[in-house]
Amino acid sequence: MTASQLLTVGNLTIDLLTARTAVRPVDGVSYSLNRGETLAIVGESGSGKTVMNFAPLGLLPIGVEADMSGSVSFDGQELIGASSNDIRALRGKSIGFIFQDPMSALNPARSIGRQIGEMAELHLKMSRSAADRHALDLIKLVGISDPSARMRQYPHELSGGLRQRVMIAIAIAAEPKLLIADEPTTALDVTVQAQILHLLKDLKKRLNMAMVLITHDMGVVAGSGDRMVVMYAGRAAEVGPVERVLTQPRHPYTMGLINAIPRRTDLVGAAFRGLPGVPPVLGRPLEGCGFAPRCKFVLPDCSTNRPHLAGTTDPSILAACPVVNV
Amino acid sequence: MTFVYACRATLSKVPPLALLAIGAFVFLGIFSSWLAPYNPNTQNLLLAGQGPGADHWFGTDHLGRDTFSRLIVASRTSLVGVFLVLILANTVGICIGTIAGYRRGWTDEVLMRFVDVGLAIPSLIIALAVIGIFGTSYWNMIISLALAWWPGSARISRGVALNIMNKPHIEALRVLGASPLRIYFFHLLPGTIGAVLVYATADAGAIALAIATLSFLGLGIQPPTPEWGQMLVDALPYLEGDPRQVILPGLALTFAVIGFNILGESFALNRVPAPMSRRMLVSRRRVTASWKKVMV
Amino acid sequence: MISLISKRIWQSLLLLFLASVLCFSLVISAPGNVAILIAELRSPIVSKEDIAKVAEEIGLNKPLPLRYVGWLGDAIQGNFGISYKTGEDVGESLEKRLSITATLIAGGAAFALMGSLFLGFVGTLYAHRMPDYLARGAALISASTPSFFVGALLVYAFSVALRIFPTFGYGGPISWVLPWTTIGLLPAAVLSRVVRVGLEEAMARPYVLTAMSKGLTRSQILFRDAMPNIIPTYLSALGTQVGVMVVGAVVIEPMFAWQGVGELFLTGVRFRDFMVVQACLLIFITFFIVVNLTVDVGMMLTDPKLRRQRS
Repeated sequence: MTASQLLTVGNLTIDLLTARTAVRPVDGVSYSLNRGETLAIVGESGSGKTVMNFAPLGLLPIGVEADMSGSVSFDGQELIGASSNDIRALRGKSIGFIFQDPMSALNPARSIGRQIGEMAELHLKMSRSAADRHALDLIKLVGISDPSARMRQYPHELSGGLRQRVMIAIAIAAEPKLLIADEPTTALDVTVQAQILHLLKDLKKRLNMAMVLITHDMGVVAGSGDRMVVMYAGRAAEVGPVERVLTQPRHPYTMGLINAIPRRTDLVGAAFRGLPGVPPVLGRPLEGCGFAPRCKFVLPDCSTNRPHLAGTTDPSILAACPVVNV
Repeated sequence: MTFVYACRATLSKVPPLALLAIGAFVFLGIFSSWLAPYNPNTQNLLLAGQGPGADHWFGTDHLGRDTFSRLIVASRTSLVGVFLVLILANTVGICIGTIAGYRRGWTDEVLMRFVDVGLAIPSLIIALAVIGIFGTSYWNMIISLALAWWPGSARISRGVALNIMNKPHIEALRVLGASPLRIYFFHLLPGTIGAVLVYATADAGAIALAIATLSFLGLGIQPPTPEWGQMLVDALPYLEGDPRQVILPGLALTFAVIGFNILGESFALNRVPAPMSRRMLVSRRRVTASWKKVMV
Repeated sequence: MISLISKRIWQSLLLLFLASVLCFSLVISAPGNVAILIAELRSPIVSKEDIAKVAEEIGLNKPLPLRYVGWLGDAIQGNFGISYKTGEDVGESLEKRLSITATLIAGGAAFALMGSLFLGFVGTLYAHRMPDYLARGAALISASTPSFFVGALLVYAFSVALRIFPTFGYGGPISWVLPWTTIGLLPAAVLSRVVRVGLEEAMARPYVLTAMSKGLTRSQILFRDAMPNIIPTYLSALGTQVGVMVVGAVVIEPMFAWQGVGELFLTGVRFRDFMVVQACLLIFITFFIVVNLTVDVGMMLTDPKLRRQRS
């Protein structure tokens, strides 16, 4: 691992066990993230992208157990197999989290000021009053209007966009090295989305943080990402710099996704160019390539041999398709 | 939702321990005359205060009556009392609750004020006040307890009634020309009775406790009819010498109430996710072990 | 906010009015001619003049609404008439007894509060493991055991057998232990379940994931994030349990020979002493309505969603 690599994921496989089922939402995924970089993880719902980032950090709901193999290395520290206390020590302090739905993610019974200030007390060892001042600064930093009044307000008194800014304030409070943002704009209005993404970019630069941006929206990827990982059926389909992948995709799935985006040149009433079929339901690992049933380049071999991420004609892009990339 | 279906559905969710305790209570109560070895009222002062033995399994009380028989017959006293109170209280409660839920408006407001007053005063106080004014007798006790319990039943049935009235099929019935009486008796009442019965059974424990408390105070079941609370208070003066006679009826009452409390708790429990048991984990892991892990 | 509270206060006043009417109607609907009964209680041989005198005394001849107003006016001033059994002024004896009952209920409430919070938190911290099962089992048994049985058991164990506490009597703090435990045990058990279930539900909410992402330990999350969410429910249940304890006082005060309002009420019921019964009843009902009002207002104040009406 080179000095600039902050997060290295190697052949990560996660099995989720619940009272009813056992599924494998992540199957042999590898990628890396450099310091100060934004990695966008793209995929549809159920592609395993959220689990991939939360499970190694111990953020699972009650009643769900995760068996993980492979390697997740953060800043030189191996997370797979680490004790839960060691992992908890990273949360908040070195890694900040932003969740999808700010309405339910904030505690309705505690004031905004307390929820933010708590981070400073915990990780920056500040006293109560110092933490309150720090919280006020953070509220201003994330661009919330009327900061001193907000300190004493409660989540239900704020709009969705403001709540998400509060979440961001909480996430960056301890100046972490990495931000993991799980669909931070999905629950927000389109106009607010742009503001939040802009804010994230700004903060990233100021605090020199790296960011993992989980999303299903190509527009968000294009606007904010440096590099991207395309996930399909729990596996990585394509990895590479955002510009190159979006302009010249190397995996049939990515090609289909980008092709599906409506263009300015399309005539009104023209047919949608979506992908046929539906993504596989997560369960036991699939034989061969997960995309084979929907792929227009499919060959008989695809259903039996699982493709691996391999080099393509573009040295910076890896794609898991031997058919398109010979 | 037919009555039988509702019964079966709820029975499947009842915890086994509750079923055991309540079942024992009901069984003993119904068959007490056949199960009790002695006549519970036969006194034999010569045998008074004996400990457990071959003749008298739980010993005898201060008047020489067989404790075992008295305990069993006492369960019938409680059972009958609880049953009567439940019938009375729920009849009144369902009537008032459903009428309030059905008519809404002024009727609803006025009736619910009465319910509010009833709910604001704890049950036993109402019962004691009525007994205090009208005197101690079996029926005064039953009626006063029914008076204490009907507001709760009314509130629940009103809630259920409102729920049913908002369902689309009621609107359809009205459009089809069903008379209000028909809607009330054939559609509103059956549903309400089902739901209220479920809560009533959980309340049974509290009613049994109330009867016992009243009897303990000497204002409920009068001797010689055995009742657990009454047996306990009779044995209190002899606590130092013969604690058994105090403990046994107390235990019997406690077990019966435990059964009802477990039942009541099982209705209110929300399905909150819990961490997996080891057994579940092992079986899930067996499944995943069969999956291959592919090198990328 | 203020409008909500004042609306609630008006509701309580209406309830008080209805309850007072109820009390009054109970009293006048007592079977038999009250005047004859009272006259007979005073002396075994009664004459028509005696009955007429009593009728005049209690104002049986006036129209009902007037009697009601008179009765209410007297009650508010603390004049509850004279006990027909003892001849004592009911208001005066109530005054003395109020503090004794207050001691009993306050102590019981403190016991219930501490016990329930302890059991509830311990149970949730060790959820689904042995301490949790022990706590829930203890709570179930305590909630099912009748108070008089608890009293009898405690007296037998600690008073008769071990001789630590006095068997009965109202004296110094040591005489408070057994009565407080007896009256507070069931409320403690019921409230501990409220805490346990409330905490478990709160810990299943999404904001717990956020709290975990902050790096908080499970017990930290329990105290900082889960607890504030159960306060309104707990307050409501606490109010109900205070009502339960007042009922318990009626049974437990005589058991420990404490001369409080409960014991007076019981004696009144036993001897059908109307003046005492309706006076105690009025006191009890007023107390409950006030407690319910306090609880409701408390819930309004502690539930952030109700605190500020502006959006």
